[in-house]
Amino acid sequence: MSTAILEIPGDTGAPTPTRKRPSLLAWAGYGVVVLVLGIFALGSPYFLQWENLSSVLNQAAVFGIAGIGLAVVIITGGDDVLEGGIDLSVGATAGLAGSVTAVAAAAGAGSLRAVLTGLAVAAALGALNGAAVILGLRPLLATLATMGIATSLDLVVSDNIKVALDGGVFLWLRQGSIAGLPASVLVLAVAALVSWWAVARTSWGVHSYAVGQNSIAASIAGLSVARHRFMSYVISGVLGGIAGVLLASRLSAAVPGIGGQILLDIILVAYMSTVFSRRLVVNIPGTVVAAIFVAGLANGLTLLGVASQWVGAAKGVLILLVLAVVVVRGRNTAK
Amino acid sequence: MTITQQPQKNLPAPRSETRELSPVTVPRRWRSLAPRLIAPVALAAILLGFSLLSPVFLSVGNLVGVLGQMAILALVATGLTVVVRAGGIDLSIGVAVDLAALASAALIADGYRAWVAIVVGLFFGLLVGVVNAALIVGLRIPPFLATLSVWFIGSSVQQLLTGGGAPIYLSKPRVPIEFALLGRGYLLDVDGVIVSAALVALFIGALLGTTRWGRSVTVTGEQPTAARISGLRINRITVSAYLLCSLVGGFAGVILASRTNGFVPGSGQAYLMDAIGAVFIGATLSRFSRVSVPGTLMGVLIFGLLSNGMNLVGLSFFWQGLGRGVVLLAILLLGVLLSRNLPSGTGILTRLFTRPAARSTARTTT
Repeated sequence: MSTAILEIPGDTGAPTPTRKRPSLLAWAGYGVVVLVLGIFALGSPYFLQWENLSSVLNQAAVFGIAGIGLAVVIITGGDDVLEGGIDLSVGATAGLAGSVTAVAAAAGAGSLRAVLTGLAVAAALGALNGAAVILGLRPLLATLATMGIATSLDLVVSDNIKVALDGGVFLWLRQGSIAGLPASVLVLAVAALVSWWAVARTSWGVHSYAVGQNSIAASIAGLSVARHRFMSYVISGVLGGIAGVLLASRLSAAVPGIGGQILLDIILVAYMSTVFSRRLVVNIPGTVVAAIFVAGLANGLTLLGVASQWVGAAKGVLILLVLAVVVVRGRNTAK
Repeated sequence: MTITQQPQKNLPAPRSETRELSPVTVPRRWRSLAPRLIAPVALAAILLGFSLLSPVFLSVGNLVGVLGQMAILALVATGLTVVVRAGGIDLSIGVAVDLAALASAALIADGYRAWVAIVVGLFFGLLVGVVNAALIVGLRIPPFLATLSVWFIGSSVQQLLTGGGAPIYLSKPRVPIEFALLGRGYLLDVDGVIVSAALVALFIGALLGTTRWGRSVTVTGEQPTAARISGLRINRITVSAYLLCSLVGGFAGVILASRTNGFVPGSGQAYLMDAIGAVFIGATLSRFSRVSVPGTLMGVLIFGLLSNGMNLVGLSFFWQGLGRGVVLLAILLLGVLLSRNLPSGTGILTRLFTRPAARSTARTTT
């Protein structure tokens, strides 16, 4: 995949080739999105109504925010799945952060303190992941173990019962809105903007891509591979925690065991972002688009009257479609 | 060379440099052995610890019971070992287990004969492998993502086939005796499941360890390019590894259906995480960090005894996941840490656990 970026002309003195217009296939990702959403809009008059669209955005917020965290990990760790960066614990971390927040709020801590406690726990889990990874453990295995730990802690903290989460900030996150935009969408927008700025516009972001695509070259160039990788897991933990708090306030309760259910969607969203990139790399705006698309897909299928069992199959086929596009485009650019 | 030498100084974590310079007091053989001893030591510690905490733990009855409970996990993990040895991963093996259990339970419920149910069950398991192989070898999709999407599709298919996830229960008198014997039979006072799991493990272990095919699988997994250049048909070998993995998963599913006398959707998926953990714990046993069937079985034994011990001690279900996660993390981390300060000759040990970056920096520093 990285070959597309490394196509730098040698020192032959030849004029640098002008940047070609992206081929038609490069827009295939957007094409699929527009096509599918268009079918939904034709099929159901309700799909394009503002209430429905805002509820789609609402659902997209949780996967989008957690997906951004995972995207940062994949960017910094490389996108080879067996050896590169992956955070399997992000779903469980989100669930745990939601439970901790709800329990802290129920115990009488103020909303702010409750949220901070939840986020601190999530950051600690991220730090555990990061420490294990920079010690040399494969991310897949390290985060697998952390996932088990976080799932278990979630049960311990919540005592395996729903913990209600209501009032104050949490009520606002569920129902509040500013200028017609639901609060959770605002949170998503802020998270997306900040991380897009950090990844695409700062040296830290460029270094992260460098570390992920060729860590040896990056370390010879003087970048601290370990520090970048460690930070990426902490960021993933914190963003997972924010997503968890958001999810718990949307459901007005922390539901134990929800982390395992949202993990697959988060992974799907983060990997799908490659389709919305001209260079076939994981990126932040693509993650947000993918989150909105996946939420819209589930919503649209339901509106069309498709049984909910098919939604999972549709998502699976979707990943395969996405990957097929990536593979075909990768072959073309490699030539 | 000088160019590469200089910036070495600001490498993030000097891997083995400082430790190698320190006087070696421990004999070299010992140090290369240490990481391989972690899993046995952990197993011994678990046995010792729980036997002190609970008097029944070390009784023969309990240990045999543990073996019976572990049989299905052992089968799943053995299947996974084949794929990991071939350099891939199969997240959809739980789907193979589920679909096989679903098919055989449904056929028995409809009154088919036992052998029909068993064969169709195995076929359904194999089908998952066919899809995986087509995606991974045919379309060149990375194994993790291909099998992840098969997991999505497979769990959706299960819900469709069971009308939204309704469990199938078999009434005892109507189950043919041959089918019941598969999961609940006894052979000379030994739980039949243990016997079948042991036979399958022995077969796969011999296949991987002693045959030409096993060597090809190993080479394909560790040096795919070299294997291809030297004339091995790596596509065929990869396909056969995924097919075998799913077939073993399907067998585990048929046994699961017979043992639980029915089918509960999603029950096979629960084995996946423990199986992955067991396979990679097993890799610490090998000098080359190679996954192997005996190693996997030791990993399964660690998980099984740990769960059983925690149950006997009366630890609540909530804490058990924490215990398993901590043990998994501790074993794997110790493996990495102990093998990191080894002389360069055994640097390959870290191959399976470290990323290429860490590996290569370790090589350049030495």
